[in-house]
Parts: sequence; C-alpha cells; structure tokens
Amino acid sequence: MNKCTDSDIQEMLPDLLHRALSDSERRRVEAHVATCESCREDLDVLRTVKSAAIFAPSIDVASVVRQIPPYRTIVPATERPATTRMVSWLVAASLALVALGGGSILLQSNGPTSVRRVIQQSPNQIATTPEPTKPTQAESLVKIVDPVAAPRSHALALAADADGLSDGGLVQLMNDMDNFDALPASEPDPVLSVDSGDSL
Amino acid sequence: MIPSPEGRPEETDLELINRWRAGDGRAATRLVGRHSQALARFAASAGERDGIEELVQDTFVRAFASLDSFRGESTLRTWLFTIERRLMLDRRRSERRSRETVPVEESDHVSEYGALDGLIAEEAQEKVRKSLDALSPTQREVFTLRVQQGLSYKEIAEVVGSTEGAARVHYHNAIKTVKEFLKDE
Repeated sequence: MNKCTDSDIQEMLPDLLHRALSDSERRRVEAHVATCESCREDLDVLRTVKSAAIFAPSIDVASVVRQIPPYRTIVPATERPATTRMVSWLVAASLALVALGGGSILLQSNGPTSVRRVIQQSPNQIATTPEPTKPTQAESLVKIVDPVAAPRSHALALAADADGLSDGGLVQLMNDMDNFDALPASEPDPVLSVDSGDSL
Repeated sequence: MIPSPEGRPEETDLELINRWRAGDGRAATRLVGRHSQALARFAASAGERDGIEELVQDTFVRAFASLDSFRGESTLRTWLFTIERRLMLDRRRSERRSRETVPVEESDHVSEYGALDGLIAEEAQEKVRKSLDALSPTQREVFTLRVQQGLSYKEIAEVVGSTEGAARVHYHNAIKTVKEFLKDE
C-alpha cells in the first residue's frame, strides 16, 4: 500500500468524521478517500477510535450545578482616601528624619573625636617611635593575634610599626605569619569521665 | 443564537454566561449539561480512572469562579478542557508524590484494574484503550482531542499549552502508532 502524500486531506479526516467541513471540502475529501487506500485505512482507524467510547461515567448535572457558587460581580478595590495616603507619607518622612538625625548625632559624638585622637597621636607616634627593629615572631604575634591584649592606643602603633618596616622586614613578618599555626595541630584528647565508683 | 435540533433557537455559550451573570441559575444548568459529558470523555480518554465525576465538578466550579477571565477568544469548551487538563496534571503530580511515600498494596492494584476490565467489555474498546496506552501523555491528549472531540489544531494547542505545529506532529505520530498497534492485534 502506498503512503498518501496529500497531507491536506490527511489533516481533514478527523473533521470529516465530525462533520466540520464545508460541502466543497467534504466532497473533495470523500473523492480522495474513494481512490486512496492509505486514507481509507486511516479513516477506519479514526472511526474505530471515535466510536470506541472509552468508559466515562455519566455526570449528574444537578449535583455539579449545586456546587457552583453564585455569581458575584467583582467589586474593584476602592482607592484609599487622600488623607490616609498623606498620613502614610508623613509617618515615612518622620521615620527617615529620625534615622538621619540619630546617625548624625552618633557621628558627631564618636567619629570626629576618634579621628581627632588619631591625628593627635600620630605625630607623637611617628616622632617617638624608635627606628624599627626587626620584630621577633612573638612580638608580631602579640600585635596581630591578640589586639585586645595590647593597649587601645597600640592599634595605631601596630600600623606605624608595619609602615616603618623595611621590605625585608615585611617579608620576614609575612613569612612568620604563614608559619604560625593559629589552631592547634590536632584536636585535644577528649576528656573521659572516669567513674571511680566513689559516687555509688 | 444557533438552531437546536428541535428547530428552536439555541443560545450560545456566551449568551448563557451572560444570563448566569444576570442571576439566572438555569443558564448554569444548561452550560453544565452541554459540556459535562465531553469533559468526562476527555478525562477518561486521557487515562483518568477514578474520580472523573469529581474532576468534572471541580472543573466547572473553577471555571464558573473565574468566568470573568474568559474573554470568549476560544470556545468555552476549549477553555474548560484547558482547566480540566490542569486539574488532571495537578492530580497526577500529587498521586505521584503519594506513590513515592505510600507503598501501593498489591490487592488495591489488582482490584482497580479488575474493575476497569469489567467496565470495558467490548474487544474493540479494549484494543483502542491499549493502543492509546501506547502513546505518550501529550500524544494521547492531542489525539483524543482531535479524533474524539473534533478540536482544531489551534484549539488543541491552547488546551495543551503548545503550538499548532507541535500538535500536528503529535497527532501524526499518534495515528501512526495507533494504526500499527491495531494492525498487530
């Protein structure tokens, strides 16, 4: 059996079954099917599938309709009155003002003083800081690892020390830092509770 | 208005929808009566076995609740098929999830298929059902919408969320498979 090459006709076969073709289209399809074995076979398959109504329960229309909610016109969301919007804007503006004011007060109380302190300390530090000597590993570690242990004013001194280091000194400091194990090499042995039997 | 078989002018779906919106409950009855069996057949053809009535009911409840979003660009039936298909997909997803967590008892499995076999008595129907089982879910939907419901490719594409071209390809692959299956049987 030769395969039909008229795809237009093949497309219209289901429409022929559902009587969805115009008269002229129907006559054209029927004339083709009369001479084309492939299309006749396709049409037979389609008829079989269409007529073999797969079991579907009959639907109780009344029970379905009972479940349908009554129609309600969707009421458009009413726009909020202008006064409400104005109050919202005022609240937002007040909050922003409070946040800005608080921030600037904080800056005035902490920021400039700290900066002033640094400026006051820096010339002395630089003037009195002796010619930097190559720091020992232990000294570097104290300054880097335990800043709390050093006095607060030394925080700047550390920076000044680092700035004052020669290239060789910096390399040495970095090497020292690389070689330093900040964490213990292994976990400490678990502490086992030894039941001495005294408690019993 | 379209003429009814009795010669009386039959109201279109849109006219019935407007009547329902105006408070006429009988319009809803007409609409459900007009489309419910097609929805039940589509569900059965798509492989639904249980709860088809509930599925059709849910489809109508959802459709009527969102009828304002129906613009009439497609037919009401196409729109209803689209809603029903989404519900079927949701149902299959939740069934898959429950299958993954709850083991299916062997006895349940047997009784389900036993009941189905009893319902499909005729040999031809059994053959067709098996041939449809051989299709992929999308091929099956496209094929049954085209052959059993008579939808155009444009409408099918709307229902299955695809393109007309893809629907055509699915249909041609499906008819080839079904033809071969029925020939071999």
